[in-house]
Amino acid sequence: MSQLIQLFPLLSILILLIFGAFLTPLLKRKKIILKLHIAINSLVTALSFITLFYVAKFGPFVFQIGHYPAPFGIVFKIGPIESSIGLMFSFVMTMVMWYSIFSLEKEIKEKRVSFFYILNSLLLASLLGIVYTSDIFNGYVFLEVSTLAACGIIIVKDKKENIKAAIKYLLLSSLGSGLVLMGIAFIYSISGHLNMTYIHGEIIAAASDKTNLLLISLILFTIGLGIKSAMFPMHVWLPDAHTNAPSPSSAILSSLVIKAPVVFLIKIYYLVYGIEFISNSNVFELLLIFGGFGMIMGSLFARRQKILKRLIAYSSVAQMGYIFLGIGLGNELGLTIAIYHMIAHGLTKSSLFLSAGSFIEQTGFKNIEDFKGIGKEMPVTLGIFTLSALSLIGIPVLPGFISKWNLALASIESGKIYLLAIILISSLLNAVYYFPIIINGYFGEDNLDGKVFRSKSKPIKELIPVIILSLVMVAVGFLSGSVINFIKSGISIM
Amino acid sequence: MNNLLILLPLMIPIFGSLSMAFSKIIKDKYMKPAAVLIVIVNFFSIFLINNQVNIEVLHIIKMNEFIDIYFRVDQLGKLFSYMAGSLWIITSFYSLEYMKHEGKERRYFTFFILTLGIVMGISYSGNLFTLYIYYELLTLSTFPLVIHADSSEALQIGKKYIIYSFVGATFIILGMMILFSITGNLNFTGGGISDIVLYPDKTLLLISFLSMFIGFGVKAAMVPFHSWLPAAMVAPTPVSALLHAVAVVKSGIFALLRTTYYIFGPVLVKELNGDKFLIPLVIATIIMGSMIALHQENLKKRLAYSTISQLGYIILGILMLNPEGLIGAILHMINHAVIKITLFFVVGSITYMTGKKYINEIHGLGKKMQKTFLVFTVAAISLVGIPPTNGFVSKWMLGIGAMDAGQVLYIIILLFSAFLTAAYLFPIAVEGFFKKEEIMTEEGNMDPPKMMMVPMVVLAITIIFLGLFPNGLIRFIEVIVQDVF
Repeated sequence: MSQLIQLFPLLSILILLIFGAFLTPLLKRKKIILKLHIAINSLVTALSFITLFYVAKFGPFVFQIGHYPAPFGIVFKIGPIESSIGLMFSFVMTMVMWYSIFSLEKEIKEKRVSFFYILNSLLLASLLGIVYTSDIFNGYVFLEVSTLAACGIIIVKDKKENIKAAIKYLLLSSLGSGLVLMGIAFIYSISGHLNMTYIHGEIIAAASDKTNLLLISLILFTIGLGIKSAMFPMHVWLPDAHTNAPSPSSAILSSLVIKAPVVFLIKIYYLVYGIEFISNSNVFELLLIFGGFGMIMGSLFARRQKILKRLIAYSSVAQMGYIFLGIGLGNELGLTIAIYHMIAHGLTKSSLFLSAGSFIEQTGFKNIEDFKGIGKEMPVTLGIFTLSALSLIGIPVLPGFISKWNLALASIESGKIYLLAIILISSLLNAVYYFPIIINGYFGEDNLDGKVFRSKSKPIKELIPVIILSLVMVAVGFLSGSVINFIKSGISIM
Repeated sequence: MNNLLILLPLMIPIFGSLSMAFSKIIKDKYMKPAAVLIVIVNFFSIFLINNQVNIEVLHIIKMNEFIDIYFRVDQLGKLFSYMAGSLWIITSFYSLEYMKHEGKERRYFTFFILTLGIVMGISYSGNLFTLYIYYELLTLSTFPLVIHADSSEALQIGKKYIIYSFVGATFIILGMMILFSITGNLNFTGGGISDIVLYPDKTLLLISFLSMFIGFGVKAAMVPFHSWLPAAMVAPTPVSALLHAVAVVKSGIFALLRTTYYIFGPVLVKELNGDKFLIPLVIATIIMGSMIALHQENLKKRLAYSTISQLGYIILGILMLNPEGLIGAILHMINHAVIKITLFFVVGSITYMTGKKYINEIHGLGKKMQKTFLVFTVAAISLVGIPPTNGFVSKWMLGIGAMDAGQVLYIIILLFSAFLTAAYLFPIAVEGFFKKEEIMTEEGNMDPPKMMMVPMVVLAITIIFLGLFPNGLIRFIEVIVQDVF
């Protein structure tokens, strides 16, 4: 039995690739495609769920693909962090798929719909691969696949802005990939290995006389993966891409695609270089600076936006700042919270984008101005939006608050009290740009007279996936104690 | 099992307001009686659990040391819940009539009752974290009441209210974060968290104390964070009355009491010299509030600035850090609640009956609205602090506290401000009673309908009653004081 469960991570990637990506083009009828993809995604979620339970019960395990042992074959290392992030990815993807059944055709051309599903399967497979693998080159390959697939789900709408945004993303992201590849080349030249554990052994041996080379490779990884995960000054591609993509794509992009490179980065830091080398370098200070600036500047940019989705996109930049800040603190709690915040933000941001998507779909507007009084027409949708926004603002017990609180504790623990100011200012700024939307939505009445909304409200049936997402989000907040302990147990073995 | 009873006052208003929100559950016809009924039932549930001996602690969620939502009934909580519960009943009767001319009654009563539930949560919360959650919720639930008119001015002011509140909450959370990282414990304990004096990080503790005090001080309208309060006068009068008398500003005061006496403890605050940093702000609050009130032509605004100054008294009492000062502060918290709600009701009645809002419009109105102005005069006398009213008693206690603290300055400030209080309140009564009538076309008695008059009279009687027989209340408060010193 345990042999079988250990197969699940690979199995889910293979299922996604074979059935989701390679077989779908052969199918003609759209209904079958939809059903197939919902089934595949639910199956993958179930598999990830079982894996998570297995890891929680029996501890982490190592899976050798094709039974080739480590230095020669590719190895998956599944611990608490990998399994929980994997579960989050597949769960959010399933919910977004479910949501997209009802709304996708309103946004993109009909013949593109199956294309969208194929790309998403490919995307999820590659993201799961990045999270699970412990082979550095294998990770790079998955990273490339995910970039291309992500470009695909942006241009699936084939408007002019989409193509522009996708090209911008592709260029910057390729730059990032190039840097990562260079980093891998440097490391390979020192160690002669691609498996993370083996590289680590060689690096420790070579650390004293090849320090500069290692530092250069470290910076290459940080910047390269930083571009892909929208670290603050390298975030310029993100707002365009997330704003113009169809709403389900935006949800996937912001809650999944920018998270996977961070997981990869954490693995490189802790598994490849090891904590000693990293803490002797200044890379954590770099992350603190980038993260801190991201938290403040992202929110400041968001405050000035007029388009709703663009505002949410900039808020993602700020939220990624929290994650980098957590990693940059360099202590156990900081790293734990960085990972917790990935999960929390993944759930929150996807429900934000999906509810914003419903506003846009039902009204045909996209500016914040035009959503005054929307709460009277679509109370449930705005309710979901409010709940997610409250989490980001940091109302207690919702996950956003838990992250902020623990980040603050972690920064006090590491003796950097001034970071408290950044955390608090950033959460205040969150309040400043989310509250007007909510307040005008519920209480503004300007738009009710004279303007006709396309329809009264979205049927509850179509909102169920978003409601589930936000319920899970609340649960992650309420159960934060056990979630954080679980992640911590994964960090201590890293 | 008995512990679960504590959920009654917390849950009755919340479910009540949820069912109020939908016209399918409570029909329009029954809406108003239902609202009053909920408030009254809630008062009985408060009474029930406050007199239940063996209710101690009810943990709702305990995830770890920090995320620990629990409720506890103690003397201070009892006092606050009684105060809120009874004033809510009076206000609900008053609003039945008053809200007819403001409209959107269903929305008003929904949030009115919701706020009651949240104030109950504040009074029974057992640790700082729970208090903080309810504190944030209080901002959110009172917001729709503040912007009741939905005009663009109201929305603008609502925004101001939210921003001030969230800045305050940010300070609070900064203090909480630092405190939690030092002590790992946020539970309310009489006289301060045990062994808090022994922690070596005195500077951090001081920062934590100050930032929490300032944070909660925003809701208690401490200068320089007071300006939301006069602005919030745009709300309907019963809302202003409640915001001022109980719901918001008194929750701020209550939270200040909790942090000073149940988290840090008077001994530590004295050792940190925390009071020395804050006293200048408090003195500024008292003097500035009174001075600005003198110049307000709008009646409601005048009362609002008066509130700011009176809240300064209470905070001063808290910071005297001696038993008499604390008794005075708690007593004044209650007395001011009763007095200020009365004053607002009177001003509301004037506006309701005549549409007049400014002091120069009410010449001779006292002859038409005799009872109303009589009530006003009683409340004004009490706020100035003339016997035999309750305002005198609490100011007397505050004075004794100031003597104990050895600060003659405090007494001078108290007297000076009492003089100013007289200067801004009595002219209203004088204008009403003694100025010549100008353009008063309507004939006869213009006192408001019974539904508004009776609550006002009841309040006026309470003012005098508490002035003549304050001992029961003082004994109740002494239990609190013995617990924390």
